[in-house]
Amino acid sequence: MRSKVLCLILLLFFSYVRSLAQENAFFHQTEVGFLWGKGIKNWDGNYLNRMDVSISTFHGVKISSHHILGFSVGYDKYDQIELIPIALGWRGFLGKAEKQRLFAGLDFGGGAAFLEKKETTQWSSSWYEGGMMVHPMLGVKLPAKKGNWALSASLGYKRQQVSYFRGFLDGSSRSTNALSSTTNLPSGFSSFNETNYLFHSLVFRMGVMF
Amino acid sequence: MKTTKLFIALLLLASGLFFSCEDQVTTTYTYRTMMPVYLEMSDVRARLITTEPAKPLDNPGKIYIYKDYLLVNEPSKGIHILDNSNPANPINLSFIPIEGNIDLAVNDNILYADNYVDLLAFDISKITNIKLVNRVKDVFTHLYRHDTGQIITFKDTVITTDGPRWEIEGGWALRSDMSFTANLSAASKSYGTGGSMARFTLMDGHLYAVDESTMRVFDVQNATDPKFIKPINLGWGIETIFPFQNKLFIGSNSGMHIYDASTPHSPTRMAVYEHVVACDPVVVNEEHAFVTLRSGNFCVNGVNELQVIDIKNPYDPKLKKAYPMLNPHGLGLAGDYLYVTEGRHGLKSFNVKDVMAIDKNQLEFLQNMKSIDLIPGPKSLIVIGPDGVCQYDYSAPSKLRKLSCIQVTNPVIIS
Repeated sequence: MRSKVLCLILLLFFSYVRSLAQENAFFHQTEVGFLWGKGIKNWDGNYLNRMDVSISTFHGVKISSHHILGFSVGYDKYDQIELIPIALGWRGFLGKAEKQRLFAGLDFGGGAAFLEKKETTQWSSSWYEGGMMVHPMLGVKLPAKKGNWALSASLGYKRQQVSYFRGFLDGSSRSTNALSSTTNLPSGFSSFNETNYLFHSLVFRMGVMF
Repeated sequence: MKTTKLFIALLLLASGLFFSCEDQVTTTYTYRTMMPVYLEMSDVRARLITTEPAKPLDNPGKIYIYKDYLLVNEPSKGIHILDNSNPANPINLSFIPIEGNIDLAVNDNILYADNYVDLLAFDISKITNIKLVNRVKDVFTHLYRHDTGQIITFKDTVITTDGPRWEIEGGWALRSDMSFTANLSAASKSYGTGGSMARFTLMDGHLYAVDESTMRVFDVQNATDPKFIKPINLGWGIETIFPFQNKLFIGSNSGMHIYDASTPHSPTRMAVYEHVVACDPVVVNEEHAFVTLRSGNFCVNGVNELQVIDIKNPYDPKLKKAYPMLNPHGLGLAGDYLYVTEGRHGLKSFNVKDVMAIDKNQLEFLQNMKSIDLIPGPKSLIVIGPDGVCQYDYSAPSKLRKLSCIQVTNPVIIS
């Protein structure tokens, strides 16, 4: 299911890209790479590092010869958690258009957790909720000899928040509404755990832009 | 070339900064528990009890019908007084704040209500001017802590911590500051809603009050001056009491006790009808006792049925027939008609004239009428459920007609 969604996104993206490739007012960047992060400390004091895939596609409009504003969507994996980052973005270029250029970028948005299914059993219910995402980056643009195409490579930092909720259902006939209104125990649960993750990742990606 | 060098430098700087960062994971645990609250009874007694203006019903407990009034207990808080002369439009009149109050009964214009360890008597002959006329001290002594003389009660509380994991798979939470037994008793008390689930009952000039293990007898022949006579040990798991023709039928979660109360100050045990462990209110007519067994959180056995017990010889009750039910909570008998609250499944009505064919004489099964308990009153059938306290016209027993619902701010959630 997830791979199908991913294929569909990529397919749509590339068909879109082809149709727009000739128009100079638009800018597109698609990259694939990895997220690398230093996880929490293990029982033995070592860190559980994580390295997972990251895909992003950015589409923008040139607002000047050096600046582009647009949006990005993608796919990020953090250990077991799969997120769809959706963000507004900026790309700024240094140097002349035909040559190798340095660029900087910033994506600001959120990671949606709709690939993670809510699990409900007789006793409990658990689900993920996405959270804020910030992704500043630096990169290089290496233009192809022909056409508008260019290779891109970027290195950035990604800050992603995710929450995991797990509640045990209240099986008794006790009423919970009065308590819930004044506390953070949602109605219908006898106990509720909220785990907030803050992932700091180093992001390295390569791809194409035009 | 220059740009490449710059890029490599930035890359090194960025990764250097980055390597000092690690992921952060914070977890908060929120759970519901019973926190012990210690009270000095002298402080409780010192507080003046005066009638307050009407309050909305929050999480009603027992309901008692007295003349044209409904007296509705708000567990551990007090009693609402409602004018029910028109069941289609009950009017909330006032509220008597009584700490620790769980149950009530009315005898001869005198309202009896428990106030932690004490029994209070109020004169309600003038409903607009309710007066506390007597206090019988130290009768419900099971609330006392033996060592300090303080009373210990439990407050339903929600706690949030970032402490370590404490829960066990399956949802049971156990911590040292959490009392399982307190939870149990509070849960079993929380809908002592009159009708088949009453815990106070009046008969023949005497008030009988049952807690988890004891029946307490009060002489109330002089209504304003209740006298505590004695406690009678019943065994564990007592839930309900139902009086009928000089007998007391006491539902426990292991069976039904029958007491002969023809000597009202000293009821004697006639029989104990044992069955599997389940929650079980009782209603009775001349020949039969109707008992519902329910599987629930604290009623561990997975049995859901209506049992008809032959009590023509009260010393030797016999199971006559059992009918499967869905999740029966409470029941009420009005003549030949039996009403059973099936929790979230709805409300059923039966003609029980032929007790051997109750299943064939089901009149209605109102599946949208989620219900916990009911009381067949003189003017209306009062049904307690998640929609609040609703009243139905049952003058045509086969066809219930809704008259009104009193909204409650904090309705019970049916498991």
